[in-house]
Amino acid sequence: MSRLDTRRPAPYANPYLAGVGLGLVLLAAFVVMGRGLGASGAFTSTAAGTTVMMSPAKAQSSALFAGYVNADGGAWTDWLIFEIIGVTIGGAASAWLAGRFRFEIERGPHISRVGRLVAAFGGGGIMGLGAVLARGCTSGQALTGGALLSVGSWLFMIGAFAVAYVVAPAVKRAWL
Amino acid sequence: MRAPFFEFGAFGDQGAIIAALVIGVAFGWFLERSGMGSARKLSGQFYLTDLTVFKMMFSAILTAMLGAFWLGRIGVLDLSRVYVPETFLAPQLVGGLVFGAGFAIGGLCPGTSCVAAASGRGDGLALMSGMFSGVLLTGLVFDPLQRFYVSTARGSLTLPQLLHLPYGVVVAGVVCIAIVGFRVAEAVEARFSNALGRQ
Amino acid sequence: MTATQVLGNAAFVLGIAAAFAGSPYAEQHGRIDVEQLAAMVRHEDDHVTATELAGWIKDRRAGLRVVDVRSLEEYDNFHIPTAERIPIDSLVSARFSPSETIVLYSEGGPHAAQAWVFLRALGYEKVYFLRGGAFEWIEQIVSPTLRIGASAKDSVAFETTAALSRYFGGTPQRGVTSVTDDALAIPRAPADSGSSAPVSRRTTSSVMAKVRRRGC
Repeated sequence: MSRLDTRRPAPYANPYLAGVGLGLVLLAAFVVMGRGLGASGAFTSTAAGTTVMMSPAKAQSSALFAGYVNADGGAWTDWLIFEIIGVTIGGAASAWLAGRFRFEIERGPHISRVGRLVAAFGGGGIMGLGAVLARGCTSGQALTGGALLSVGSWLFMIGAFAVAYVVAPAVKRAWL
Repeated sequence: MRAPFFEFGAFGDQGAIIAALVIGVAFGWFLERSGMGSARKLSGQFYLTDLTVFKMMFSAILTAMLGAFWLGRIGVLDLSRVYVPETFLAPQLVGGLVFGAGFAIGGLCPGTSCVAAASGRGDGLALMSGMFSGVLLTGLVFDPLQRFYVSTARGSLTLPQLLHLPYGVVVAGVVCIAIVGFRVAEAVEARFSNALGRQ
Repeated sequence: MTATQVLGNAAFVLGIAAAFAGSPYAEQHGRIDVEQLAAMVRHEDDHVTATELAGWIKDRRAGLRVVDVRSLEEYDNFHIPTAERIPIDSLVSARFSPSETIVLYSEGGPHAAQAWVFLRALGYEKVYFLRGGAFEWIEQIVSPTLRIGASAKDSVAFETTAALSRYFGGTPQRGVTSVTDDALAIPRAPADSGSSAPVSRRTTSSVMAKVRRRGC
């Protein structure tokens, strides 16, 4: 049976084992680079870089973006940008080999495709604000900061999951 | 060779980029393997039907936390040279609350949205666009947030420092809490997926 | 046993053992090269003036980190714009990037100077401190003054300072008759620690209170 047969996707890996694998990747980042993983930072660098391209003055006047601009005026050489490119490649490879790659808009049974796309866009926008304030997201704060016992990261993690459970019933229709 | 290798000059910026790619590929690989590229599976966490997010995240935290502790303890890794995300009490708490709302609505987080998009999921791409837009907007109208953003700074504050406990004791505590959490998660999952008639 | 159970047991054992294993941090070694540090002090490479710092902040100098080593109360009452607070005992375990330029300041200067020695001992190279501390910032940037009868050269220099001051929302003043009349004169022996203070001791909070009252 071909693993590339997309009609028969492979079962997901054991979450504990995959988690240990992920933990070893995180540990490797500590040992090799002296830093952890991240995701939202790549988005901030990209946004900063985009703003620089449109208007360098505007980028400088934003206290947030100014911090992401290098001496030569660019913002594209953030470590996280390369890391997130890797994430995309790794995700694609795993999906492909497991027969899970398919063009699809994943959604619950009671929401339309458009509805799902709007929710995804909106949810992403909200997370963008949250991640900027918190200096990270589940990868950079919860995972990395969590493993390194950073107080702010644990605060972020607890706050995020608490609110998610509160909001979930309200958006039940999107998923269940 | 002492670790962190980069901190001790084992390689330069080009090596760092290669490391970023390799580490990123492995990161994306494990996320997808456990199904974190699927918004439906991921959102199961919030309806207690599928607690993969919790199991995966805390298995990763335990592994990296124990690994960092012990490699530090035996002198292989200079733990003080590993960058600990800095603490800003108020913005990180508020940021977390805001982030959680978006997470429940969108069903993916920034990292997993890239995995989803890489698996062909249009919703993943939509979330990435939303994320980019949200960050861009926040950056452009950042001035009113600036003061709050830098408030309540505590530097690289760790739980052991805050609680005045030895690092290893906190590690032990987190391990125990996580293991109890895993047991509870298995029970909760069994209960709630049966209730909804799901796999 | 399944792989998961093996890992779970291993995590438990390693976790409990960690509680008895001591500290995961390598001993903090600082090397003080006294001759090198003394030379830097002599050549005045160890500190910056408030005016220089103000210029760096205004220009958004890459990698600049302004570090306030005072107490939370002092920081909340007044701090240099963009400054982050890292108390002196957390400072030595803080991680800075070698590309960052660190400028330390305290109330009047001594604690920042000590912190400068610590960070240099730990190997950081681009470290400076504000010799006159927060008081110097207040005197040069928040409320710079130009005496009546000042020389032309001083007046020209004052224009630059005044522009910087205005950028930070300060109130430059010309025509002050005597600096010692002014409540903003730098005290002879600034006290850094928050010990119980006599009423006449000048702190940045009392000085800033006078500045704010004088404002709009």
